Amino acid sequence: MNPAILQIKQLTMRFGGLVAVNDVSFQVAEGEIYAVIGPNGAGKTTIFNAISAVYQPSQGEILFQGKTQYSPFRFRQFLFWLLIGLFTGLFAMLIGVNVNQLWQKSIRDNNITDTFSYAAAWQSAKEYIEARLSTAQIALVSGFVIGVAASFSVWNRSRRTTDSIGRMGIARTFQNIRLFQNMTVLENILIGLNHECKCSFWSSIFRLPSSNRLEEEAHQRALKLLHYVGLADKENLLARNLPYGDQRRLEIARALACKPALLLLDEPAAGMNPTEKNELMRFIRQVRDELKITILLIEHDMKLVMGISDRIVVLDYGKKIAEGTPKEIRVHPEVIKAYLGE
Amino acid sequence: MKSILKQILQFWAVYYLILLGAVPYFFPADSRLEIATKFNSLMIYSLLALALHVIVGYTGILHLGIAGYFGIGAYMTGILCTPIFPFEFCFLYLIVIAIVTAAIAAVVFTAPMLRLRGDYLALVTLGFGQIIIFVIQNMESITAGTQSLSPVDPALVPKWSYPLFKSLGFSETWLNYDWKIFPNFYLLTLLMLMLVYWLLHNLEQSALGRALVALREDELAASCMGLSPVKLKLIALALAGAISGLAGCLYVTSISSTAGPKDYGFNRSILMLCCLILGGLGNRRGLLVGAFILVGYDTILADILNTQIQQTTWSTKVKNLLQPSNWKFALFGGVLILIMRYRPEGLFPAQRKSRAVKTPLESASQSTVSPQGSVSIAPSNSPLDSNSAKQEN
Repeated sequence: MNPAILQIKQLTMRFGGLVAVNDVSFQVAEGEIYAVIGPNGAGKTTIFNAISAVYQPSQGEILFQGKTQYSPFRFRQFLFWLLIGLFTGLFAMLIGVNVNQLWQKSIRDNNITDTFSYAAAWQSAKEYIEARLSTAQIALVSGFVIGVAASFSVWNRSRRTTDSIGRMGIARTFQNIRLFQNMTVLENILIGLNHECKCSFWSSIFRLPSSNRLEEEAHQRALKLLHYVGLADKENLLARNLPYGDQRRLEIARALACKPALLLLDEPAAGMNPTEKNELMRFIRQVRDELKITILLIEHDMKLVMGISDRIVVLDYGKKIAEGTPKEIRVHPEVIKAYLGE
Repeated sequence: MKSILKQILQFWAVYYLILLGAVPYFFPADSRLEIATKFNSLMIYSLLALALHVIVGYTGILHLGIAGYFGIGAYMTGILCTPIFPFEFCFLYLIVIAIVTAAIAAVVFTAPMLRLRGDYLALVTLGFGQIIIFVIQNMESITAGTQSLSPVDPALVPKWSYPLFKSLGFSETWLNYDWKIFPNFYLLTLLMLMLVYWLLHNLEQSALGRALVALREDELAASCMGLSPVKLKLIALALAGAISGLAGCLYVTSISSTAGPKDYGFNRSILMLCCLILGGLGNRRGLLVGAFILVGYDTILADILNTQIQQTTWSTKVKNLLQPSNWKFALFGGVLILIMRYRPEGLFPAQRKSRAVKTPLESASQSTVSPQGSVSIAPSNSPLDSNSAKQEN
């Protein structure tokens, strides 16, 4: 078996008193099509949301390509906190000593004669602050502490965000389609390609040749991708005007544009007719075989799941009840119990 | 024939901007200056509306305190320029300082609030706008409180570069004062408006502009595509702050005083928002029309009608009743109601540009598409070229 691309270890998700996912562990190997199934409310989508960092796991951990998904600590971060702290400290100090008075003493009072010198203003400012030294010090220190603590906590909370997960190589689609409805089909794909269009702010607002070239390349790539998923002549339609099946297709195409190593598909066949489902099955397999993308999917349609999955995990009430190949799952007593009752 | 006309007319916004430059010359010489002043403020408010457009139109954050950034740019210019204080910088420096400070202020004061969403964020921005007013009112020794800092009459370029400009044929009085008189400053403002308009046009067509719009459409989906919402919002805020700082600097310089804090209050922010809604949210061209109608009424038409009414022989009561500037808020409200009822997307709804495909895609044409939309692909024709397809890690 290939090495695991995604490891979920003892994942528990709690929302208040509700335990949506309870101590679930499984591994997805590279190049696999892995399905998560279970009755409604079993916690499938919650697991997807935990993987893509919409939620943070209450307990347990999720490893992607053998690493945690938390962004590492960098020294630059530390300097940034100090800078923020210094800024808030100075801000607090200015407010603490009354910046209005300070200005009056240093700038206005020194500007009465025509011989204003910045040295004299600086001197008066220093005298003014020294007269209120304890206030200034308290404000400075507390501002500094608050600034550092706040920026640290913001960083700590945003170490694992949906966008960092997306850049790591996990792309996903949504149960209820979430396209950029008012943008064209082509633009939807271009958003997926955005992370590698590394044109700077300045080159894009002054439209330098470099950004034009990158843009042109991205367009060509997007058109190719649209061909690949079978939306070739629809690039200028608004996404919301596409028929339902095409919207699903476009959402997958958009996710593929991110060049993921792992693709999460949340009920890709919902609302499709049998022919479309067969198409989709072929398409998913094709994506795995040709683009070498591992696929993790949630699906209710048993024919589709049994047809394409290499392995399946079954959840019920947030607990894992079975894991194995489609053949094993089909005859698993627990699974039959969960779906059909006693 | 019709299509040619259509093609010519599709650049109407550009024609409008060029026409703005010529407007004062349509009027007789004695009233030209007055007209120019009025159109100058129209252009400055168009700039401010463009700034708001970056936040509300692109990223979809409802911002109710844009006039706060405008005020920061304005007072920064005022403080660093009036003879009350020793700085007396030249216009060239002031404009840069105003832009940079307003952009920094926009980022610094909004960054801590970015976790809020929707209405809550809108309320915070509203609060920000109010705070700026009170800060200006109460920092009396810095901002002169409810009075205004004046005169704001900066020289064009720094003193040390005078010899250079004199050798180019500019006189000292021109560099000190005359650069601000009629055609010069008017055209400078127009130039700035055109520049910002063009930059935003480029932005809209770039990856960054698309990302901002995607954020408005669906923040979660956009962030799952690897776009950082925080970073994008801060970029939009910084840009909006910069443009409003520019507008503030031009405003103060054009009226030679910082006016009072009232000029940078909630009314101004809402008026700008109305311009956007009237013109069509998310549409840069529509906003010019919105600003032309609303600000134009406020600063130009109302004044002209006022003088007309004052010249009539009607009784004072009737005159006071009819005064158009008294009616402006009722009128704005009425216009908004009508727009919301009959054209909720504004006069010019935002449209996504369809792109012509430049090359016929020879390479991808091997794949054929069946009527059902199924694909069969030549195996060599992978859309993600495998060299760069794999992630680095």
